Amino acid sequence: MFHRRYLCQVLKYCKYKCNASQNEAARIVHTSSRFYCDNKENKVQVQMNFENIEKKTKNSYLDMIDIFIGRDVHRRGHVEFIYSAMKNMQSFNVHQDLTVYKALIDVLPKGKFIPTNMFQAEFMHYPKQQQCAIDLLQQMEDNGVMPDYEMEDILLNIFGKRGYPLRKFWRMMYWMPKFKNLSPWPVPNPPPNDSFELAKLAIARISSIDIQSQMTIYHTSDIADSIEDTWIVSAQSPIQKVLLEEHNPKQPIYVEGSFRVWLRNESVNYFILRTAAKVLDYEIEDTDDVSNIKVPFFNILPEEPKSLSTIPSVHEQEDGVIYALCATGTSSKDSLLSWVRHLEKVNPKLTECPIVFTLKSAEKELATFQGNNDEDETKTKIDEK
Amino acid sequence: MSLLRNLLIKSLPQIRCIHATKALTTFYEKDAKSGYKDSRASPSKTNLIRDGLKELKQEVALWTEEVKDHFDADPVLIYRPGETDIAWRFDQETVNKWIVTSDSDNNEGFSKCKFDLTEHGKGHFHGNLSTRIPKDGRVQRAGYCNIKSLRARKSFKRESYYDWVNYNMLVLKVRGDGRSYIINIATKGYYDIMWNDVYNYILFTRGGPYWQIARIPFSKFFLSSKGRIQDKQYPLPLNRVTSFGFSVGDKIDGPFSLEIDYVGLEFDPNHTEEFAYEMYKTDKFVAGT
Repeated sequence: MFHRRYLCQVLKYCKYKCNASQNEAARIVHTSSRFYCDNKENKVQVQMNFENIEKKTKNSYLDMIDIFIGRDVHRRGHVEFIYSAMKNMQSFNVHQDLTVYKALIDVLPKGKFIPTNMFQAEFMHYPKQQQCAIDLLQQMEDNGVMPDYEMEDILLNIFGKRGYPLRKFWRMMYWMPKFKNLSPWPVPNPPPNDSFELAKLAIARISSIDIQSQMTIYHTSDIADSIEDTWIVSAQSPIQKVLLEEHNPKQPIYVEGSFRVWLRNESVNYFILRTAAKVLDYEIEDTDDVSNIKVPFFNILPEEPKSLSTIPSVHEQEDGVIYALCATGTSSKDSLLSWVRHLEKVNPKLTECPIVFTLKSAEKELATFQGNNDEDETKTKIDEK
Repeated sequence: MSLLRNLLIKSLPQIRCIHATKALTTFYEKDAKSGYKDSRASPSKTNLIRDGLKELKQEVALWTEEVKDHFDADPVLIYRPGETDIAWRFDQETVNKWIVTSDSDNNEGFSKCKFDLTEHGKGHFHGNLSTRIPKDGRVQRAGYCNIKSLRARKSFKRESYYDWVNYNMLVLKVRGDGRSYIINIATKGYYDIMWNDVYNYILFTRGGPYWQIARIPFSKFFLSSKGRIQDKQYPLPLNRVTSFGFSVGDKIDGPFSLEIDYVGLEFDPNHTEEFAYEMYKTDKFVAGT
């Protein structure tokens, strides 16, 4: 208790007497809770920080918060504690967990920061604490975590209804639900860890352009001469089968890839079976062109019959006709060959056509050293400044 | 007095003066680019004059067109439903005119991007997004790439606006990679608080080899300024559009690719919504403070 009284006196002295050297005085009078640690047990707890914990789980993270709360009544250094806790969320894999954010906000004391008059409300009462809460909410927003009404209650108890964190909270609760489920191609959050499940999601998503398209799962081991044993997720629609049946066997068919499709933060490499684009054999009539109007009264000969043509399907694009698409477990040339062999069973025309593999090198096995170079680059840039 | 102070400071560098915080310049903004300076050296005066004179001929031609249009007084009055008017379709010249920026341009990150043409003559916005933060102790978040059209201008480089009042839909033919992009419609105003007014909406892409056509009503666009959604929202003023662009910043590290065939505009009489977001009055001193 002696320590505390002594400290108060020093602080008062600093406040009223030494205005100019206030900063230095504050540095001498170190107000962190370490001053109050008399017994050895507390010292051990203070030195424990998030980086030093070996088992980084949600439970150990929550334990750290509990230790901090239970350490003493005053919870000194709670803002610094919350900031350091926020920094370490990713390593504990709790950065997308709402309960953890709530536990962190709960560290702040209730009632003390509520403004009692309009001047306090206007001039951001306890600015450091309010900014800390705002930063925490911002981190939630960045990680796509939507708060709930319990969070509002906690914040109301801490900062009152005029607090800036509350405004941030209300903004988040207004906008985040509007965009949360807006995507027309929803992906589970978090996306599945298994690459096979991911591939199925990706192929289903791409082939959703044609509702008739069917997804089939092949295994390379079913083909006699295949080297690898892996899965193939393939998709083809009845229209594509018809198109392939009509394919001119003199023209080559390309197996192209790998291309990338993103499902949230996971990417899947896929391949396509494609041929050159169809040449349109009809002219598109420009109905706005009035320079040469045919007047039917002066025509002796009957009008030429206009050729009819079908509307091109979605698979016939300007840059090629797509016959099928797939993703394989290894993205290797061998697995793609097995895919073509499987397709040949359903599309006998494929056996007659020349097939060209135009594959880019596998992206997975490449290691890049770009990261370090980038850093060096900026370092030199900063030095130049 | 200030001279004396300067002398004192210079003669006694080791003594610290009274610490005074830097004056906040948040009352008004001087710089339209908020301090993000162009690192390229500006050409010399003579070069500027020479280039300006070269452009004079085109500008006069443009101006003649404008005068003719004015006296013709024959604007398009009927916008047929279901017909898409193309605002941008990309060729080499248009692609060169678009502004391409990323966080690495301002030493605030490591993302790289390009905007060029594909072999089929479509605009291709691609690059590598990186959320790695440079260790300068100032930057807190990183990872964006951005393309933007030049500001709408009349002859002699006078500032003007795109007038899209007769349309209510934005039509985009794009081919993405499954990422979500953001569409930015800038409506730069006269006063400094309106300089950074940008209306945004999200462009979800399917991914895969197929093109997709996204039709987005203008009523869905929401107002933001300097990347922050504003509390007080207003419908997009379609007669004050200054520029148009796309951004990517979905916090996912890795390559991205967005092919753009065209950016079009459409009038859909069945879409009657004026603004998608609530505009009721909130409590005093809560919203917009």
